Amino acid sequence: MSAPVTPAPDFALTGSIGKLKRAKVPQRMRNVELVLLIVACGINVGSLVLVQLGVLGVVDGGPLAICGLLTVLVLAIHVAMRFVAPQADALILPVATVLNGLGIAEIYRIDLALGNEGWDALANKQIAWTALALGAAFATIVLIRHQRVLQRYTYIFGLVAVILLILPMIPGLGIEVNGARVWIQIGTLTFQPGEIAKIALAIFFAGYLVQRRESLSMVGKSFLGMRFPRGRDLGPILVVWAMSMAVIVFQRDLGTGLLYFGLFLVMLYVATGRGSWVILGLSLVGLGAVLANQFLDYVHGRFANWYDAFNPENFNGYGGSYQLVQGLFGLAHGGVIGTGLGEGLPEVTPVAQSDYIIASLGEELGLAGIFAILCLYLLLVGRGLRIGFAGHDDFSKLLAVGLSFTIALQCFIVIGGVMRVIPLTGLTTPFLAAGGSSLVANWMIAALLLRLSDSLRNEPRLVVG
Amino acid sequence: MSELTLLILRVGFLVALWVFVFFVVYAVRSDLFGQRVRRMPAATKVPVAAPEAAAFMTSAQPRISVPASDEVAPADGTPLKIVITSGALEGHELALVGDAITIGRSPDSSLVIQDDYTSTHHARLEVRGGQWMLRDLDSTNGTTIAGSRITSPVPIPLNTPIVVGSMTFEVRR
Repeated sequence: MSAPVTPAPDFALTGSIGKLKRAKVPQRMRNVELVLLIVACGINVGSLVLVQLGVLGVVDGGPLAICGLLTVLVLAIHVAMRFVAPQADALILPVATVLNGLGIAEIYRIDLALGNEGWDALANKQIAWTALALGAAFATIVLIRHQRVLQRYTYIFGLVAVILLILPMIPGLGIEVNGARVWIQIGTLTFQPGEIAKIALAIFFAGYLVQRRESLSMVGKSFLGMRFPRGRDLGPILVVWAMSMAVIVFQRDLGTGLLYFGLFLVMLYVATGRGSWVILGLSLVGLGAVLANQFLDYVHGRFANWYDAFNPENFNGYGGSYQLVQGLFGLAHGGVIGTGLGEGLPEVTPVAQSDYIIASLGEELGLAGIFAILCLYLLLVGRGLRIGFAGHDDFSKLLAVGLSFTIALQCFIVIGGVMRVIPLTGLTTPFLAAGGSSLVANWMIAALLLRLSDSLRNEPRLVVG
Repeated sequence: MSELTLLILRVGFLVALWVFVFFVVYAVRSDLFGQRVRRMPAATKVPVAAPEAAAFMTSAQPRISVPASDEVAPADGTPLKIVITSGALEGHELALVGDAITIGRSPDSSLVIQDDYTSTHHARLEVRGGQWMLRDLDSTNGTTIAGSRITSPVPIPLNTPIVVGSMTFEVRR
């Protein structure tokens, strides 16, 4: 094993070199990561064993062996990073591994309760998708050696995002599930291209805003105490944004629409530093929500289920609050330390494996478990924002903030929806929920954050002390 | 398997989950609570004069400094350098290249200064609109140019003392 190649420092040093040393401590980050990964994999095995003990009463080696293979894949990424990204953040990989493992365990648990076996079992699909997602993350980190490459193709990524969003609308390719037309089907495989589109959008926004941030925040007409940028500066973003919004309205996928809007707003705010954008955006969301509540039936239903969930009329109605209330009952059943993995009744809630995975985990791991999971998300997002904060160039700053914010907002929208903080809109809980495309997209986001953090720490620097 | 064993196992699992969370938090402690300050016999002696100067320079006490030139540091390829005029690194020079140079205690900084007076992320030199700008990253002790503390990004004047924590440097051609 050879030592990582150190880039030649750009600083021309004169004077005595004795007082200076490079901040590089070889592989320290990777060693921390290895320890955390071992603990993470231990937790994943533990969760599966507990599920089997809870439901079957015995330990079955088969599923454990398959998850052992996933552990090998995660370790392969770790080893690859020792060579291609030695200074990358040490926490992202272990945290994502634990979240993914907990998700697989809970999906497996619900499969056992529902008697799903073979390829019908969502857990098996989830494991296959996890392998694919880990492969995608591996490819991302090995192939993209510096974020400069991404910045070079800013407009290509904008185009890719739009094409991915349009794909499900193409007859014969797109399929409709539960009224939302966001999937494409190739053979027996279904995929949600919108998940990958959010990464492409984040890259496009970051690349574009870096070029135009000055003119966006400085030039333009003042109106109502707020400065509006010129059309030609804002134009391309508005076009891409409006197209994504239009596609979402036609595909009837509220959650994704909210996610893109939030991403757009936050990146604009971070790039220009103008709070007025946030106020404007939030009031647009508020206005949109009020209008949609008035005029769109399915949105109105979501609102009614939210503010009056326990009303028998809503509870029993078609598309009513039955699912939401079952989720809440599940959470209540769990109490502080939960019923224990495999010992609750999470399968009572419809689609307990995907949208309601957090309610299922909440029932079986209790308040203590939910808080641990939320802490893990907090740490993951915190690391991402930290990478953005310490970034040396504006593109990596914006991209890191945008990517980590998508994870945060996604958690808020879906977990907040399940816990009845906000009206429920369908989105996947990052890393946890059953759903291949989301898993692939989130692992790619993790890989991009790792890449950004590595180039960040690899910049030349001087150390005193 | 008895009820009690399962109870112990499931509480044990929650404990393991939290242990993992705290492991992770422990690994990022330097980000949460700031970089630990390493005291060095040599380094603590030298900076004494500089932070005092930094703190009191703004007051009525007049300070003879190099007459500040009106010229600001351009980012048009002119070779520029940072010359450190006081502090532990006194006498060192480093070339001002790239998009940005960060100064602070954090190991992510381009110029890592581990002493009491520097914040984790203290200041940032960056190229904006064709010239080098200096920005204070909300540091505790502030950043001063020619004795006045900066509150917003300012163009970096050439040959003018800039104080960051215990270090004074100038940008020269």
